[in-house]
Amino acid sequence: MVARRRKRAARDAEEGIPSPPGYSAIPIKFSEKQQASHYLYLRAHSVREGTKSTWPQKRTLFILNVPPYCTEECLSRLLSPCGPIQSVELQEKPDLAESSKEPKSKFFHPNPVLGFQVAYVVFQKPGGVLAALTLKGPLLVSTESHPVKSGVHKWISDYADSVPDPEALRLEVDSFMEAYDQKIAEEEAKAKEEEGVPDDEGWVKVTRRSRRPVLPRTEAASLRVLEREKQKRARKELLNFYAWQHRETKMEHLAQLRKKFEEDKQRIELMRAQRKFRPY
Amino acid sequence: MGPAPAGEQLPEATWKSKAMEPALESTGKERKKATSRKRAVPGSPVEGFLQPVKLSQEELYKEPTNEELNRLRETEILFHSSLLRLQVEELLKEVKLSEKKKDRIDAFLREVNQRVMRVPSISERELTDQAWLPAGVRVPLHQVPYTVKGCFCFMPPAQVTVVGSYLLGTCIRPDINVDLALTMPREILQDKDGLNQRYFRKRALYLAHLAHHLAQDPLFGSVRFSYTNGCHLKPSLLLRPHGKDERLVTIRLHPCPPPDFFRPCRLLPAKNNVRSAWYQGQSLAEDGSPEPPTPHYNTWILQDVALESHVQFLSTTLGSTQGLKDGVALLKVWLRQRELSKGLGGFSGFLVSMLVAFLVSTRKIHSTMSGYQVLRNVLQFLATTDLTVNGISLCLSSDPSLPALADFHQAFSVVFVDSSGRLNLCADVTASTYHQVQHEARLSMALLDSKADDAFQLLLMTPKPMIRAFDHILHLHPLSRLQAACHRLKLWPELQDNGGDYVSAALGPLTTLLEQGLGSRLHLLVHSRPPVLEWDISQDPPKHKDSGSLALGLLLRPEGLTSVLELGPEADQPEAAEFRQFWGSRSELRRFQDGAIREAVVWEAASMSQKRLIPHQVVTHLLALHADIPETCVHYVGGLLDSLIQGFKQTSSTGEEALAAAVRCYDDLSRLLWGLEGLPLTVSAVQGAHPVLRYTEVFPPTPVRPVSSFYKHLRERASLLPRPDKPCPAYVEPMTVVCHLEGSGQWPQDAEAVRRVRAAFQLRLAELLTQQHGLQCRATATHTDVLKDGFVFRIRVAYQREPQILREMRSPEGMISLRDTPASLRLERDTRQLPLLTSALHGLQQQHPAFSGVARLAKRWVRAQLLGEGFTDESLDLVAAALFLHPEPFTPPSSPQVGFIRFLFLLSTFDWKNNPLIVNLNNELTAEEQAEIRSGFLAARTQLPIMVIITPQDRKSSLWTQDGPSAQILQQLVVLAAEALPILEKQLMDPRDSGDIRTVFRPPLDLYDVLIRLSPRHIPRHRQAVDSPAASFCRGLLREPGPSSLMPVLGYDPPQLYLAQLREAFGHLALFFYDQHGGEVIGVLWKPTSFQPQPFKASSTKGRMVVSQGGELGTVPNVEAILEDFAVLGEGLVQAVEARSERWTV
Repeated sequence: MVARRRKRAARDAEEGIPSPPGYSAIPIKFSEKQQASHYLYLRAHSVREGTKSTWPQKRTLFILNVPPYCTEECLSRLLSPCGPIQSVELQEKPDLAESSKEPKSKFFHPNPVLGFQVAYVVFQKPGGVLAALTLKGPLLVSTESHPVKSGVHKWISDYADSVPDPEALRLEVDSFMEAYDQKIAEEEAKAKEEEGVPDDEGWVKVTRRSRRPVLPRTEAASLRVLEREKQKRARKELLNFYAWQHRETKMEHLAQLRKKFEEDKQRIELMRAQRKFRPY
Repeated sequence: MGPAPAGEQLPEATWKSKAMEPALESTGKERKKATSRKRAVPGSPVEGFLQPVKLSQEELYKEPTNEELNRLRETEILFHSSLLRLQVEELLKEVKLSEKKKDRIDAFLREVNQRVMRVPSISERELTDQAWLPAGVRVPLHQVPYTVKGCFCFMPPAQVTVVGSYLLGTCIRPDINVDLALTMPREILQDKDGLNQRYFRKRALYLAHLAHHLAQDPLFGSVRFSYTNGCHLKPSLLLRPHGKDERLVTIRLHPCPPPDFFRPCRLLPAKNNVRSAWYQGQSLAEDGSPEPPTPHYNTWILQDVALESHVQFLSTTLGSTQGLKDGVALLKVWLRQRELSKGLGGFSGFLVSMLVAFLVSTRKIHSTMSGYQVLRNVLQFLATTDLTVNGISLCLSSDPSLPALADFHQAFSVVFVDSSGRLNLCADVTASTYHQVQHEARLSMALLDSKADDAFQLLLMTPKPMIRAFDHILHLHPLSRLQAACHRLKLWPELQDNGGDYVSAALGPLTTLLEQGLGSRLHLLVHSRPPVLEWDISQDPPKHKDSGSLALGLLLRPEGLTSVLELGPEADQPEAAEFRQFWGSRSELRRFQDGAIREAVVWEAASMSQKRLIPHQVVTHLLALHADIPETCVHYVGGLLDSLIQGFKQTSSTGEEALAAAVRCYDDLSRLLWGLEGLPLTVSAVQGAHPVLRYTEVFPPTPVRPVSSFYKHLRERASLLPRPDKPCPAYVEPMTVVCHLEGSGQWPQDAEAVRRVRAAFQLRLAELLTQQHGLQCRATATHTDVLKDGFVFRIRVAYQREPQILREMRSPEGMISLRDTPASLRLERDTRQLPLLTSALHGLQQQHPAFSGVARLAKRWVRAQLLGEGFTDESLDLVAAALFLHPEPFTPPSSPQVGFIRFLFLLSTFDWKNNPLIVNLNNELTAEEQAEIRSGFLAARTQLPIMVIITPQDRKSSLWTQDGPSAQILQQLVVLAAEALPILEKQLMDPRDSGDIRTVFRPPLDLYDVLIRLSPRHIPRHRQAVDSPAASFCRGLLREPGPSSLMPVLGYDPPQLYLAQLREAFGHLALFFYDQHGGEVIGVLWKPTSFQPQPFKASSTKGRMVVSQGGELGTVPNVEAILEDFAVLGEGLVQAVEARSERWTV
């Protein structure tokens, strides 16, 4: 392994780090202690004409293969020498749209475990992107001045974070429910207003809450109706009344037996292949 | 050095075409060999699957031919189903002798006949003068006492006849034997030869001379001695052909007296033919007491006399009717699978043929019956008739000189008299053996009556060795102790009768003694029969003690097991003395609560596992007391595996008590919840949803009493936190409890809002429990953790309609339809199906107290093989439950040991590809429904997971195996089980080999590419390891209840957190294996397909790097960096990362 590593190091020095067309590769390591490094693949974010993307053209840097221990703050710190940064966002896979700005509730959406990710880094000026593409590295995620927690230390701090604050939870639930109640009340008021009032073409909307409620329009309900119809029809039918019916029932029975026989034969064939008939 | 395991990384969708090839193939030749030997994998992979049958409309509905209708009718009348008919036909084809082989055997027989006739005669000499015997031959008989009057000479046999099953056409493979009766010329014998073993001595010398001459003949591959049916007075000579036919056939030569030589009236059961004076070497008995009868001795002579007449009788009855012969062949297979037919006193094929003949003569079987019907009728007869009480007779004559059946009952335990009226065919069969036959017949009848689909398989194809069939096994070793036992039990007449065979003589009294002592704890006691040994003609015959050890199998009665008291009669009753005599010093006078003063025996047993082992105490006590067999000679195999599910420092219990304590605490909690005041909606139901609450958690929880200095405190939330500078604290897993509320129309109808309301309920619940009952609680959005008496419960409030809300989808026309979504399925599973399963298995535990032990051993083993994470808890519990609900052809296990062995057996033999495992909880599924499930299974096979477990609540989707195991993991487990089973069985069945019972629990590590060694300091369950460490770290727990009432650290298990990170980051490159019960090693297996260079794609660069190969750019995993990542992600936990193979080199 060592020999190979040395060979590869030599090769790297000669040719530079191989990188796919359009990308530049920057080695990244967790800390000084590690010997081998992962490679970030960077590119200026650009999309084909006509495709929508919320990321600002020219100012956005697109990074592939961000290791699991590298957080957004980390990335921001590592790239800050290239120019002032507006935002850093890590995602599981490439996505043209920015995620919604509204922060998710930490009570209802616990932090997921992270793997390798992609990042979109938006610089304040286009120059930052160009500077970043020429970075040499290797970048260090955890340094003396900015240590990044991993292993046991990380798990302990995660555990401490996961112990919830009931008061905060209560506040969040209350405010959400207040907004929700308000929304429902508004909808109901609107429905009440429209009740019995014909629309432009003269149709009157009938709902669950109307004076004469109707069957809800669900799939289950319509299936139930169909089933009832079928039963009604079946009750009226006579069984084995005509001679042809009798004949057909017999034939059906025979067909069943034949089918069973065929199935059994197949089963036997399989068991024979597996030598299942040798009692020793 | 290419990327290796071929079957390893297949996309899920293609497993049906390629999977089930022994996974992990490259892991070494031995493993591969073992696999191919154990499980013959059908040649082409697609063949291994059953396809739904496709018949064209035309074929289905064409006019039937006469032939077809006849066959269908026959199937309906004579067999149970067409499948059974086909199976029986196949089986018979397999066991029957082919015509070609018959011809070869016949030719060989003719040769043998000629050779035997040509053996030269020798002149007459004294029996005791054996100097004429050449050096290379020993007399195949123990001549004790040596002195016998009489003369011996050799002459070729007067007649050589083929007797036995070969002639009847009912002999079955394997071990084809042809019995030849050699009628000794009258000149050899003399008057009164029946007396004092003289006939047997002559018979043995006759064989010795024959053997000497035949051994020089190049025709024979081997010439050896053996005992006829294990009877040590009657040796026989075994001849095998030379060369490639050596395995084809064994010819057995049995010398027999000329017809009418012995006077039958001298050989009746009440007569004596072995004189005490001669046998004991004393002068005539002084007191003139009558000589004891020698029924067994007499029978052995009679058997020789009747050899030919029996064959004639059988051939006239079975003669030309194929159905009867098939029936006999099936019965022989049936007996063979149950190990009933071999050895001295076995229920041999000959006996069964006679039984069929008897049933024909009583018109219970008709000659037009099919083999299956014969089997059924014989089993029915055996199941309902007790030959130990009501013997049967083939004799039709009413001659008053013949003994009555009652006379036979006096002399023998099982009675089945032959057509001569003098010979008991079952003379050597002990009562225990017959009861075993009866027990098996009853089980088989129940199985046939249940119309199970796989009755054939279970009845005729499943072997039932003793270790798998009986709850506890007990070995007596060395056997020479039985000689002393015979003297202690005063069995001299029996010894005299059995010609000094102390094992046979002691067997009957010993089993009776133990049966009486075990009483209500025992369902059935059986003994192994000494095997029939073979030996070279130049050796002395084996001694009685050479047949290894005597094994007794106990089938326990679970309801009787729990009592620690043996209640005797009242002290003033006359039976009291008897009771005292029987139990010896263990019997003591006790006063009971109702005022009675009785004799009683009390055994020491505190826990369930000790109570299960009371039979051990009983057996050792009784054997030492009555038979002088010391404890060191009794090797009791019943609880050897218990230590694997015993907690640290709890060597007296296997955890049933701890689990029951947790369940009691849960019951208290649910009572509190029901009575809770102030909740907007009252609690309508509380259901457990955790393995502890169905008694299947491998290591039951113990009450937590944290040492406060060991932790960091989070005062404002009353919680403890782990400290980085201390070892990892003890692992506390909260027990999930689902809490249903009464129905209400006030719930919002929006999924997000429902979650918020639920969170509000969780908060309120915590508040109320703290206020009203002073319990420490912690609420989150999805659950409330409650600390009660040291146990932590995780209460989840459930809203019945929530899965429905998650399923609702509105089509563009405004129609609301219900579609399953992953979220709705998960919720449904956690809040509905899991509690149902938990309560069903909880019920099962109440019926079968051994369930807990079996399920936990099974899970312990699977996890110890590092495969635990591939299987859900529930799926393994269900497999264990299947052992209890569908035990056929066994009975439900009453000890964890036998249950675990059957778990391994089930795993290694079950055909998961073509069969669903139906676990009929509470017996809810009818036979028709099961048939429907099976056909539905075949039709939907490709959409179903590889391992399909069906329960009444889950008839289609196999909920608990949906997310795994993959075909490869399952295959690996099957291979491991097939390897472990014989090793374990051998260890348990061999009293001399006290090998380490944990061997089968240690995983093979050589197949992994990388091993990550973990530091025990941060493994909280380190003590649970298979090889429990002698010392481990303090985990911050007190022995006694402490003052701290803060919430302990919950569910904090660094190895699990580490594995989650590894799987998330590198799951696409490698598989990770770990034993969650204290494993110190994580095994890593690279997925070979992801090691092929791939073109660069933005969506799949995770952990890969770009390399140029021959000018082309491609990506390969950055293995060196990944290996270092393993260490980075697990900093503090990981001790070392060992790359053990170079298979990843590209």
